[in-house]
Amino acid sequence: MSESGIIDYAVLIPLLPMLAFPVILFLGRIFNGTPTWVKNLKEGGIIALTVMGASLLLALAVIKEHMNSIGATNVFTWFETHWWEVDGALTDRVFGVGIYIDHLTVMLLFVAAFLCFLINIFSIGYMNTDPINDNRNHRFYAEFVLFCSGMLGMVLADSFLWLFIFWELMGLCSYLLIGFYYERPSAAYAAKKAFLTTRVGDVFLVIGLAMLWNMFGSLDYAVVFDPVEIAKVSSSELQIALGMMFIGAVGKSAQFPLHVWLPDAMEGPTPVSALIHAATMVNAGLYLVARMFPFFQAADIGSLSTLAIIIACIGGITAVMAALIAFVQMDLKKVLAYSTMSQLAYIFTGLGCALWFANNGYEELATFALGASLFHLFNHAMAKGMLFMASGSVIHEMHHAHHEVAHHEHDDDHHDDHHDDHHDDFDAQSMANMGGLANKMPITATAMFVGSMSIIGIPFIGGFWSKEGIIASAWKVALKEPVFLFPAMLVLIGAGMTGFYMSRMWFMTFAGKPKTDVAKHVHEQTPWIPIPLVVLTFMTLSAFILAGMHAGAWLGDYQSGHYSNFFSGVGEELQYVFLNDDPFLMVLTYVTIGLSFILGPSFAMALYGGSLDDDDEAKPWMQWAIDLSARVNKNSNFDNSAWANSSLAYSLEKRLHFDDWYDAAMLKIVVGFAYISAKFDKNVIDGVIKTIESTSQAASAKLRTLTTGSARDYIMMTALGTLAIFLLLWGVA
Amino acid sequence: MSGTQALDIKNKEFMLVGGLLLIVAALMAFFPYMSSGDSEVDWISLPLVGFPIIVSCILLAFASQESRSRKEVIAVPIRLFTLAASLIPLAISTSLFFDWLIAVDWNLGYNEYALEKEYIWIETIGVSWHVGMDGLSFPMVWLTTFLIPVTIVTTWNEKDGATYHPLLLMMGGALIGVFVALDLFLFYVFWELTLIPMFFLILKWGGKDRRYASQKFFIYTFAASVIMLLGLITLYFLQPEGSGPRYGTVTNRTFDMRVLFTNALAANEGDGVFLGKDMQNILFAMLMLGFLVKLPAVPFHTWLPDAHVQAPTGGSMLLAGVMLKMGAYGMLRLPVALFPDALIFYQDIIMAIGLISLVWGAIVCLGQTNLKRMVAYSSVSHMGIILLGIASMQPIGYAAALFMMFAHGIISPMLFAVCGAFKHHYHSMEIGAMRGMAKWSPYLAVYMMFAWMASLGLPLLAGFVAELMLMIAYWHTYGWWILLPGFVLAITAAYYLWSMQRTIFEGGDEGQPPESLNGETPPDITTSENIGMIILAFFTILFGIFPFIALDMMGQWTHELFLTVFEGGGI
Repeated sequence: MSESGIIDYAVLIPLLPMLAFPVILFLGRIFNGTPTWVKNLKEGGIIALTVMGASLLLALAVIKEHMNSIGATNVFTWFETHWWEVDGALTDRVFGVGIYIDHLTVMLLFVAAFLCFLINIFSIGYMNTDPINDNRNHRFYAEFVLFCSGMLGMVLADSFLWLFIFWELMGLCSYLLIGFYYERPSAAYAAKKAFLTTRVGDVFLVIGLAMLWNMFGSLDYAVVFDPVEIAKVSSSELQIALGMMFIGAVGKSAQFPLHVWLPDAMEGPTPVSALIHAATMVNAGLYLVARMFPFFQAADIGSLSTLAIIIACIGGITAVMAALIAFVQMDLKKVLAYSTMSQLAYIFTGLGCALWFANNGYEELATFALGASLFHLFNHAMAKGMLFMASGSVIHEMHHAHHEVAHHEHDDDHHDDHHDDHHDDFDAQSMANMGGLANKMPITATAMFVGSMSIIGIPFIGGFWSKEGIIASAWKVALKEPVFLFPAMLVLIGAGMTGFYMSRMWFMTFAGKPKTDVAKHVHEQTPWIPIPLVVLTFMTLSAFILAGMHAGAWLGDYQSGHYSNFFSGVGEELQYVFLNDDPFLMVLTYVTIGLSFILGPSFAMALYGGSLDDDDEAKPWMQWAIDLSARVNKNSNFDNSAWANSSLAYSLEKRLHFDDWYDAAMLKIVVGFAYISAKFDKNVIDGVIKTIESTSQAASAKLRTLTTGSARDYIMMTALGTLAIFLLLWGVA
Repeated sequence: MSGTQALDIKNKEFMLVGGLLLIVAALMAFFPYMSSGDSEVDWISLPLVGFPIIVSCILLAFASQESRSRKEVIAVPIRLFTLAASLIPLAISTSLFFDWLIAVDWNLGYNEYALEKEYIWIETIGVSWHVGMDGLSFPMVWLTTFLIPVTIVTTWNEKDGATYHPLLLMMGGALIGVFVALDLFLFYVFWELTLIPMFFLILKWGGKDRRYASQKFFIYTFAASVIMLLGLITLYFLQPEGSGPRYGTVTNRTFDMRVLFTNALAANEGDGVFLGKDMQNILFAMLMLGFLVKLPAVPFHTWLPDAHVQAPTGGSMLLAGVMLKMGAYGMLRLPVALFPDALIFYQDIIMAIGLISLVWGAIVCLGQTNLKRMVAYSSVSHMGIILLGIASMQPIGYAAALFMMFAHGIISPMLFAVCGAFKHHYHSMEIGAMRGMAKWSPYLAVYMMFAWMASLGLPLLAGFVAELMLMIAYWHTYGWWILLPGFVLAITAAYYLWSMQRTIFEGGDEGQPPESLNGETPPDITTSENIGMIILAFFTILFGIFPFIALDMMGQWTHELFLTVFEGGGI
């Protein structure tokens, strides 16, 4: 299955950034600090941008060519080994490498290449204007492009083996970039935690791959997705193998119970949080699960429903748990981190539904659920990338403003050391220090506004279309399989919770009076940063186009060709959502909207709403929300201090104690046992050797005393010896 | 230094280098052609084995005549010369690797060897100087020739270089001798010969407890190889008598491995069992014991951490890089290939020992406070993988074991080079004594992270392919026991990352230099260390991205082994 065309050059998409990695690193090492490097090349940022631009263009060309067709290059042999069959024959087993493109690849390729490019633009604004990054930005851009290479490679790979290879490469970059500020103990800790937690998942993924290989004799998609091959394997074994691989996905996508690393990963610079920990790498787990679809779809396979149910349940649990924790977070980025976790969980639930449908023979429903899940992945990546960049913009300007304020206050102490900013107690990320920024940062506030609406699922905007699809799918399964009531209920409740915590975040940051002096002095002034925000705002707002194109159906099954008529597509979609023939689904839609659009935001407004300073006026598309929130806030007089002081709130602030337990388990049990083992190794295993040694030394010391030097003793011994020999000979005879 | 003395020294250097070059040129020119009858050049005996040993003996003899102060002066030319001399075997083995310049066919069947040469040595008992290489030994030979110059460069500034560097060269010659020997007697001679330079390297250049460590290293491994020797002699006498040029005139038996393999193959065929089941089991155990101690496998591993911690950097690099693999090589060469029935008999025990080494090594690593000790235990852990590969009884598992030998041979010298540079510059090996190394030693920090990541099996670096293949083979044979190697993968990441967190990272804006430096600014690594580590890093990436360069040859060997010995032997 190979054709020539642009796909032959697709290998360059990951290869270009990979080659840029050493280039930026070495050039940075050599030219660090020189004016050309800093001003013209933005400490490597321009090189990275060029490369990512080239990758994006190539990716777009590939996408255009393979919008409705599966493409694959020739498989090259990476290495070869043999297998000893039961009948005694030795057969060749090839580990190949190649490129495979289908609808799933196309979608993720676009998300990855597009966001890598945009976030690169953002980075140039964000990283190069912060004095703390002086002389180390080349390291940032080098690791950044290496990460992009990993993400693009993973999407394009034609086997689970290379998927895993690039998956680990991303893990490495994630580790390096979280620990970018290596001198901070918190960053070092967070980096280690992220790598180790995902590594636990990866171990199971490797085991799953080993099992899969033993079933199929290969990990290439072309082999394992062949229905003839799938028909030969036992479904229970396959289910276990896929389940093992799913644990890897749980680790990478930060799902319960391996979710603990993601909030800490916010220690990395904000562009890293936007790219790796919101928009791309965390989607790798979803991609892996979506890749399993053909196994479930295969006609001759037995029941794999248990795994589908587990996937959906993990999703449901995480969705609600993360949303709950997000209620109480004060750190802007941490709220977004938990939101990411929660939204990824939605997608897992949707994928669980799709897999269940596929496995039980409901082709059309499966296609719909898969499409909705992937569409949500798309919407979430766009919106969350934007939200993180916007939060970065806020934090960046807060830093600037703080510096200005501090500078004014201590005009006579010559503060030329910029690093002082980071020593004092002021927390530029805490929402408690913000408030009323809507008019001071109009672009950022708009981006946050639109992004939040997309995540909440406000009708017609971005995530609304896809989230409806996921919730509807979950309930459709629940009608057929009662166990699914659990995740279905959870995602429905989660929708309302999302409405609350996202609104809370927006109102705390942008509405109300400025809570600190610093917040009063914030301006939107850094170049480069607004560009991606504006682009993504339009991207999110125009998601209805994709919805109109029946993104769900297209992504799930590109062959159906629904997207031919755009207007009828939008009409159908609207009718499907709001005036469904099935009264159950119609009611469900309005319940969801009621929870996410009315109930959640209302509570948030009641608690955190408020008008801006008197002479300030936000842009009209936000002003109404601020006015409304002020009114709700005034009229409700809602007092939540009882909740805020409850033990539930305390344990939510403690992230439900998972981190404490894991730390304790690691430090007390594993490391404790390791120390005991090291002692045992030294004292007992080596002790035995030492005992042999000392015994033989003692024995030789004893024997040495026989050498007295006295002739009488020697004659005596000779006589005794001779006698002994005679006795021996006599005895033998 | 006065003028006359300087002139004197220059003359001496000139004579030294020139004279040696003449000797070497003579050796190179004549000996390869002095082969037994046929016109093929002997590329192994002298160029790869004899040359390093002879050159190092000459240099050592020369250096030992000099006074202490002169030794320091002549150290520079001797170093340079040792490096130049070590590049010759590397050039030869590299051209053999890719079949450049020297024609060689690596498409070998079982018990077929490339560049095979045989000279009668001790006629009475049937000993011959019989050398040759195949897919099992050649990667190790290349690795040795590669590591010697790299080690010399990395430890360029080691004190007393006039004797240190020649010892490294001698070590290389002896190690290559082990891998190319096709005669049991010769094999054993080289096997023990490797102990001597290493013993002196630890004894003379080691740390505080070097005397204890060197003696322990010597006696422990020697005691084990005596048992192995008994096994070899028993094997010698149990073989059928014969006559011919290879057979001893007095004993009518031969030490020749090729004959031995042919005999074993014929006897094992079908339902046959070479030497009988019981004798196979006994001999298998005797030989394995020697190899397991060398590997080393838990519980025979305690000599290794002591030796490593005390050994100088160069010694550690060769010890971990090649010497440990002698054990693995010996297993695959002798007991596994000779006694397939005994292998099946002991299969689960080998698996258990491998698993215990793997798990125990990793857990003990996590409990270490000394950086070099931790790395030493990680070697124990990784060597367990080789035993698991052998126990898996699948070609892919054997290929994993072979590739692990090779990959670990590149990665572990880098681990020890990092430890050595650490010790050299900070005078401390304690994890956590300093933090924020990335601040003042960015290069060392990068190399450390690279080596650590390579060792924990990051994809696209050399170790990954071996681990992946092992997991596949292991699941096939031992099923859910795979959770234990999986657990080790996580623990390995844990100890490496934890140690990095407490050395490279943290430390605040100013860093936290080690107390042992008494407030001085910690330096970054020297140029020579830099060069050595760049080369090692480069090859780690090269064999990670293009594993087939070495793996093709290994795959061919495992294929032949399985087809001929296991399938042919009726296993």
